[in-house]
Amino acid sequence: MKRKKIYSSNVIIGLVITGAMLLMILIGFIHTPYDITKMDSAAKLAAPSLKHLMGCDNFGRDIFSRVLKGMGNTFVIAAATVTIGTVCGVVIGAFTGYFGGLLDEVLMRVNDVVFAFPSILLALVFVSIFGTGKYNVIGALGIAFIPSFARIVRGEFIKYREMDYVKSARLSGVGQLRIIFVHILPNAMPVLMSSIMIGFNNAVLAEAGMSYLGIGVQPPNASLGSMLSESQTYLFSAPWYALFPGLMIILMVLGLSLLADRGGK
Amino acid sequence: MTKRGQRFVKVLFASMLLTLTVALSGCSGDKAAGDSTQIADTSAANSSEANTVANAETDTSLEVPGEANETEEDASHITIGIPQDLDSLVPSLSQGAGTQEILYNIYEGLYKPDSEGNLIPAVASDYAMSEDGLVYTFTLRDGIQFHNGNPVTVADVKYSIETCAGLNGGEPVISAFSNIVSVETPDERTVVITLKESSSPFMAILSTVEAAIVPADVTDLQTNPIGTGPYKFVSRSLQENVVLERFDGYWGEPAHIKDITLKVLADSDSIVMNLEGGAVDLVARISTSQAAELGDDFEVLEGTMNLVQAMYLNNAAAPFDNEKVRQALCYAVNKQEILDFVSDGKGTLVGSSMFPAFGKYYVEELNDLYTTDLEKAKALLGEAGYPDGFSFTMKVPSNYQQHVDTAQVVAEQLKQINVTANIELIEWETWLNDVYQGRDFEATLVGVDASTLTAGAMLSRFRSDAHNNFVNYNNPEYDDAYAEALAAEAVMDDDKATEAYKKCETILAETAANVYIQDMCELVAVRKGYTGYTFYPLYIQDFSKLDIE
Amino acid sequence: MKYIGKKLAAMIITLLCISFLVYLAFDLIPGDAALAALGTDATPESLAALREQLGLNRPFLERYLEWLAHFVGGDFGTSYKYHLPVADMIVSKLPITVIMAVISFFIMVVISLPIGIYTAKHSGKRIDRIVMALNQIVMSVPHFFMGILITYFFGLVLRWFTPGGFVSYETDFWKFLAYIIFPCFAIALPKIAMSVKLLRSSCIEESKKDYVRTAYSKGNNTNKVLYRHVLRNAMIPVITLWGMTLADMLVGSIVIEQVFNIPGIGRILLTSISYRDYPVVEAIITLIAFVVIVTNFVVDVVYQLIDPRINV
Repeated sequence: MKRKKIYSSNVIIGLVITGAMLLMILIGFIHTPYDITKMDSAAKLAAPSLKHLMGCDNFGRDIFSRVLKGMGNTFVIAAATVTIGTVCGVVIGAFTGYFGGLLDEVLMRVNDVVFAFPSILLALVFVSIFGTGKYNVIGALGIAFIPSFARIVRGEFIKYREMDYVKSARLSGVGQLRIIFVHILPNAMPVLMSSIMIGFNNAVLAEAGMSYLGIGVQPPNASLGSMLSESQTYLFSAPWYALFPGLMIILMVLGLSLLADRGGK
Repeated sequence: MTKRGQRFVKVLFASMLLTLTVALSGCSGDKAAGDSTQIADTSAANSSEANTVANAETDTSLEVPGEANETEEDASHITIGIPQDLDSLVPSLSQGAGTQEILYNIYEGLYKPDSEGNLIPAVASDYAMSEDGLVYTFTLRDGIQFHNGNPVTVADVKYSIETCAGLNGGEPVISAFSNIVSVETPDERTVVITLKESSSPFMAILSTVEAAIVPADVTDLQTNPIGTGPYKFVSRSLQENVVLERFDGYWGEPAHIKDITLKVLADSDSIVMNLEGGAVDLVARISTSQAAELGDDFEVLEGTMNLVQAMYLNNAAAPFDNEKVRQALCYAVNKQEILDFVSDGKGTLVGSSMFPAFGKYYVEELNDLYTTDLEKAKALLGEAGYPDGFSFTMKVPSNYQQHVDTAQVVAEQLKQINVTANIELIEWETWLNDVYQGRDFEATLVGVDASTLTAGAMLSRFRSDAHNNFVNYNNPEYDDAYAEALAAEAVMDDDKATEAYKKCETILAETAANVYIQDMCELVAVRKGYTGYTFYPLYIQDFSKLDIE
Repeated sequence: MKYIGKKLAAMIITLLCISFLVYLAFDLIPGDAALAALGTDATPESLAALREQLGLNRPFLERYLEWLAHFVGGDFGTSYKYHLPVADMIVSKLPITVIMAVISFFIMVVISLPIGIYTAKHSGKRIDRIVMALNQIVMSVPHFFMGILITYFFGLVLRWFTPGGFVSYETDFWKFLAYIIFPCFAIALPKIAMSVKLLRSSCIEESKKDYVRTAYSKGNNTNKVLYRHVLRNAMIPVITLWGMTLADMLVGSIVIEQVFNIPGIGRILLTSISYRDYPVVEAIITLIAFVVIVTNFVVDVVYQLIDPRINV
């Protein structure tokens, strides 16, 4: 009984945080207090005030407005990346883990290849073929994320495939697909959920890295990652510049992982 | 071009990709390498005004931190942060400007540039040129010796020059040296170099580090570099450091500080921490924002980077093939505002492809050719057939934050005349390939610098048939003016040549070949207690002048 | 024997694929070593001459096969940029990266194992909630940000170490250790949080299973059940994670190497990709791939040891 209560309080916190984040993203899509590219030399690196809630960046642009817009960009990229990674990873991991044999061997080798292949090189190849843009970041990152999900899911499936309940299901003529997705997959959920959250966190960060390679969100547009990286130089003189985007990343990931815990239980 | 030292690469961020739980074995470009991947033919032609050295902080507290406290002269030591590791330690094989500026301290040519941009005798003590400009006779300096104690002989000089000229077999290392017919050593003290045709920049090229004199009998220069410079090589650890020690047998004024450690600071974000934490004492080419983060322990010296930062336009691509469109952009861009946003107002405005260090070639009046005038800009756009504006893509190398920042301000300013500039960040190597070599771009924002202090280094690229005319500038009038300058130079008529070069600059400005912005400021952070940092108009870091108070 | 032979064959094929793909990638992305070397002073002639000299003009496949032949023969080639043998470059930097990865891994295991088990055992209590809340936050902090925070706090505020004051293990091993312990914590912290969480949830999950209940009902005491039965099964996903983490740390240390200005294998890799110095990139990537594959293999074997039912 007691345990249940804790989870629900976690869920409430998670819901509140995530709700607030989503609301901000939504607001960002509709309206921002300032034009996100509007520069103001008088407000360069201005501290937070009533006029500029989160202060201003080195061009005097309103950080609050940029955070609102940036959250949307970041969220879309991270969510899409993790979705690609999860869906492909689950399918690959489930089949290889469940069936084993040659398929497992081949797919896991492919996995190893992708795993060991430098993602920046992958990203550069992507860009030289498809050009820059949001969708190419999603593509490159998505591919890069598949192996980790696949391995985790495979590990779970290897664990469960010899379990009695699976064996009996098989004997009683339940279809393989049904066993995989209905009988085993739910058991792999807790582990999968936590890797999804970790993956989301990493996707947010990786997006920032991509921004700096010039792939992905292009300036003067903003994403939380690109803002965080641009703010590095001003860490001492304008800490709020790094603080707010950083805080938003932390909150976004935190909120979702609190919810995910519930989902896994 | 675009190189200039301090790179703002976000290697850190770029490489964050690797941290995906996923262990992608990633990597990012260490842009350091990219930044200065250009050959810096250093040289000097005319004496030019030296860069102003302004002490940003005038209060001279007596607090001397770190090694500076050590009073005993022989223990004097300084750690200098450099943005990238040296590529090759063999001068003739060295490529990066960032490498050659360091090798300047280890190696010397027959002549070498000084801080005014003049050429001064080094391994040679004197030279004479024949009337027709084809035969150069050098006298070897008396008693000069290599770091290994062996005397420099004319055979070493012959070997070094011939290697660079490709006369020992192989391709010429310095392409301009293919002009050399022979290197003769009539006696123990004399070297005679004969050229195919006279060449005014010959001495400048001969004075570059690439043409340095190396011992003919040492085969492992790569791991055991031996030159004649004020500092000798001690050790190196890849991507970590290079250790130098004062050469006590130096022919000239000996260096002041005995030991120098060059520490590779590949991540520009760590520069401030390294300085503040005491790991390094001096870093050249820091950004204004980095300078602002530094505490009282440091002095920030200010010079100029000696380059022309501009939004370079592809003159062959619509709509920039229209002179009126280009002029409209010039009227719409507010240069002073860019400086205010990007570098706290520091930097020198330029109006054409020439910067102040060139002295007599520099035409200051051109800076005022286009004073910001939005109405005029809109009118010009209307005349050109774009009354409602247009949009274009500006490709910017991602490794150089200052260009990226400038591009953002320019894009914002252009919005006012309904012109949309979409910024596209690209990797430096991609920039070299696509923009510089491939000329596949509409506009780009970079800095172009000079490999020698000859006017041609800045202006020859705008001839319609120049191989490095990446902006596709095509103007017969310009070609004529440039030819005129060359003709005047060939007959050694300096005044006429200067006039013609100035005409070239004026044509570039009037036809708005590019949207010229500034010669960026160069900031050097020096820990208090160290003195003597000297700015050169070329890509050189001279450690021998550094001293401890 | 047959099993190992099969594994070995698979490994070789994987490595071949990776090295081929890396070569292919360099063929696809713009720029090459000649252009990177000559930069903006390149003329068509000098570019052509340098390409000829470096052998870049030949067909892609020919270059790859030649590289491969040399590589297999133990000749890793010479760096385009540094003009030094690639093997020497790697050998001199490898210890730094490997020591960092090993220390980080050690820190992770030593810290996460007791915390994970403790919180699982006391799940729902105040201490568990506090630890898990902290854990959650640590997991949400961007990786490199952790590095910067450590640098700022321990380096600039507390002055426990000099940021950027890396000392090579060859110069002074103890100073080297005293410096890298900070980056190692930066690498290990997020991994600790991850494995604590996974271990805890895995233990709780496992302890709900019938066989555990049976064990309890037989009167076994909690600790015995926990260590003998629960932990054994709960460790499977954790070991997967650790296996991935070891390789991850080797690679992840690349980022931290940047933050703490450590000249390890990562630094060489980064500069080399930028410089299109593919003999170096090929060698390092192949090495990393090798480590990844071997770790995966070891993880598989450990699975089998823990749970004999699993047929790998």
